[in-house]
Amino acid sequence: MFFKHVRRNAAKYRKNNELFFSSLVVAIVAFYTLLSLGDQDVMLFLKTIESDAVSKLMLLIPVVYMISLFFVFFQVYFAYRYQLDSRKKEFGLYLMLGMKRSTLFALLMSETIWNSLISILIGLPVALLLTEGISLATAKLVGLGIIGHRISFFISAVIGTVVGFIAVQMIAMLLLSASVSRKEPIELLRSDSPEKQVPLSAKKGWFCFVVGLILLFLAYAVGVTMLRSFDFYIVMLIIILGGGGTFLLYRGMGVYIGHNIQRKSPMRSGLFTFTGRQIQENVIHQYKALAIASLLLVIALACASFGIGIASGRGSTEVRTVDFSIEGSEQEVHGVLDSEASKSMISEYYPMFLSHMNTNLYDQSGEILKRSPNAHEFSWAGLSAALANLPETDLRNNMIENFSDQRGRPYIISETSYNELLQAIGKEQIQLKKNQIALYTSMKDSGDFMNILNSALELGAYIEVDGQKYELLSSVYYDNVVADRKITLYSALIVSDEDYRNWVSDASTPFCWNVVLNQEVVNEKGLMQAIQLMEQNLAGTGLEYESFISGIGRNLFYTVAASYLTIYLGILFMVIANTVIGMKYLMQQRANKHRYTTLLMLGANVNDLCKSAKSQIRLFFALALSIAVCSSIFAIWSMFTSFLKLPAGTSIVKVIVITGIAAVLFVVIEFIYIHIVERASSREIQALQVTDRG
Amino acid sequence: MNLDRVLQVEGVTKVYGKGDNKTEALRGISFDVLEGEFLGIMGASGSGKTTLLNCIATMIKPSSGRVLLKNNDVSSFKGVQLADYRGQEIGYLFQEFELLDNLTARENIILPLSIHGVTGHQAEQGLKELANRLDITDVLDKFPSQMSGGQKQRVAAARALISKPSIILADEPTGALDSKNSKVLMDKLSAINKEQNKTIVMVTHNANAASYCSRILFIQDGRLFHELRKNIETENSNSFYKRIVTVMAQLGGGSANVL
Repeated sequence: MFFKHVRRNAAKYRKNNELFFSSLVVAIVAFYTLLSLGDQDVMLFLKTIESDAVSKLMLLIPVVYMISLFFVFFQVYFAYRYQLDSRKKEFGLYLMLGMKRSTLFALLMSETIWNSLISILIGLPVALLLTEGISLATAKLVGLGIIGHRISFFISAVIGTVVGFIAVQMIAMLLLSASVSRKEPIELLRSDSPEKQVPLSAKKGWFCFVVGLILLFLAYAVGVTMLRSFDFYIVMLIIILGGGGTFLLYRGMGVYIGHNIQRKSPMRSGLFTFTGRQIQENVIHQYKALAIASLLLVIALACASFGIGIASGRGSTEVRTVDFSIEGSEQEVHGVLDSEASKSMISEYYPMFLSHMNTNLYDQSGEILKRSPNAHEFSWAGLSAALANLPETDLRNNMIENFSDQRGRPYIISETSYNELLQAIGKEQIQLKKNQIALYTSMKDSGDFMNILNSALELGAYIEVDGQKYELLSSVYYDNVVADRKITLYSALIVSDEDYRNWVSDASTPFCWNVVLNQEVVNEKGLMQAIQLMEQNLAGTGLEYESFISGIGRNLFYTVAASYLTIYLGILFMVIANTVIGMKYLMQQRANKHRYTTLLMLGANVNDLCKSAKSQIRLFFALALSIAVCSSIFAIWSMFTSFLKLPAGTSIVKVIVITGIAAVLFVVIEFIYIHIVERASSREIQALQVTDRG
Repeated sequence: MNLDRVLQVEGVTKVYGKGDNKTEALRGISFDVLEGEFLGIMGASGSGKTTLLNCIATMIKPSSGRVLLKNNDVSSFKGVQLADYRGQEIGYLFQEFELLDNLTARENIILPLSIHGVTGHQAEQGLKELANRLDITDVLDKFPSQMSGGQKQRVAAARALISKPSIILADEPTGALDSKNSKVLMDKLSAINKEQNKTIVMVTHNANAASYCSRILFIQDGRLFHELRKNIETENSNSFYKRIVTVMAQLGGGSANVL
């Protein structure tokens, strides 16, 4: 009997609160997706390359999980509080009919557990499908073979999800049902009159509204103008200004809406006034919920854009120039690479001649510290002068200072080596004339640095070696000269082979041997597998080597970790915010059901009432969304002009397409939410008609 | 003679439930209401008086019989016709006022008109006259929570009257008021009935309120039990009140009713 009762009540609750119930299912899917991240194919693969970074990320996941649980707890708490409020009379009656307090308490807890179990039963299979999908899709995307993939059920993630989810539900219900079962029956039986409309004094309301607007605009201004890097104090200032502004704005908005209704209603007929007053009342009573939902939406949008920014920024810049860079004598290298096993894998390999220019060593004061035989005199002065002609910025001054430092010995790269590389990636080769040199840097990720350097070169810059001027080509070269990070060059010079031989002390030993894999093999096996196969050939030879795979690994790790986590949080916050808005509206409508009955009695027809409710819902969502979207635009603007600057060379089209898809998804999700709430609301209003007409 | 009959109730029955659970709330009630009449309906709890009023107001459908307002069968109304009937032909006064508590008095009063496409500007003249007559000019821009019970019921009365309905239906309008406020409300309703020849049908328990009526129907167990008519020329409210109390005593278990 007891369990039948529990099951019936729980089913009734799910039917009446499908919005909240489905958000719980989404929460389970999100939890599982987060917790199973460490067991996904991509992460398992990354562990083999970037084990340190992956373990750090794995330490971060419980923290993110706790944050998600915290927010979901609030959503659950408020939903259950509403549920218990609306069932108070029922509980009072149970007590009057002789139910023990402990039985009532057990009843409530059992209902919660039952509903949690059903959410888990629906949510977990969905989560499994989704994570499998993500796992397969990312594996395919990065060229990991799917041969090693098997359908997996990560028991630790399942336990984590179930325990966290049920704990949140139980704690929320425990707090609430304890207070309910402590009350006297009479307190429960007495129905609370709904909150009365007491208008905030007009002066106070306008004050909040105006101050809120000012604070919000200040936050925007500070974000756009002062946030140059991730400065903790500035970020705190923005959060205080923006958060405070949003709260005050919603606090005062009721007065603004009231003012509008009074101004417009004499000219309008139908349910205009009623609709307006309903919205005003919702805003006055629910301003905290609106502000919180709006801020959550801002965080959601900012998180998602951050994730997308990182994903598109990182993904687009890494151009594959070389697959392996091997260190070793010519003989050894030939021995390995010309073997039968390797030959079929490789399309070409070539020596990369890269070395210091042979100059004297200087101390800090510019005095010669150590003389080298056949030393050359070198000067960046011509480039520094060209830089000095550009508009002054901190970065430009830094660069001038760096290039004025005469102590460093410049790196030089031989023209043939670099042309081999350009040819391998299908770029036009360099044709150096006499007394011409090309400038090289590995700092391509810094857009500003590249822009300044290119501008200086366009003005006509030169360098001097042994008093002879060498003209620098008008654009800077930046394609990676090694497979990964064997060497990173702030600046280097690409010089003719003759000059190279003249200017370095040992012109016969290359810096390394660069290997490019056969494209057919790559196409057939996927890049990852092709590299892994080639690695097997190199592994036992004792040669020092690095491969492009570590670059991909690092790249992939940043992309996966940052975008996955931020997009995950974005979606979670968005679901919570929308559920809060939707539920707050439906609660208010249910609490004021009698108003709709009165309107029916006064001759309004059901369709008009449904229409009014629909406009209320749209306006209510619009109120939360408009400020959220406005704030997000400024938040994203500040973010992308400060610490999240996209690297130069990021495809703008790609960013726009991804942003467009994200924006469309956002709009679609909002429409779905609004539609669900509208349907629930219409259903309730139509039910009124039936009872009304007996 | 037919022209003077605003409302005709013909053999109305209302049955709830089926088979063994059948409850007959109304067992065939017929009466007419003439234009300008102030009709009271009295009876013990559960006698069916509110069911009767709700049938007239189209809040529930009678199981059989007809309710005719100006010769139109209201129980057959649907859709727009039904909405128009509720908003324009009848004015309803509820025991608990049923004002929308998030609308000001002004907005509450003109609500029936707005629903039927009249703007606030167009309704202004009628609103002013009613507000003056009912003494609620001062509270027009206040919300229900800022008004006394008496003021709320007078605002509700204004809302019932604003669309100039053919008939006012009042369900225990003084039920939630103290005696002083009840008297003020009944004085106002009575004045409107006399001066504007407005037809009022009022369900009440209260003999005091009933003494303002020109005719009273007593209902018992879903049937008409007795009818009292006030002799307007010779009888004052006080003696009518005594007659009402006598009938109530019989209804409530007077010697004739002892089982």
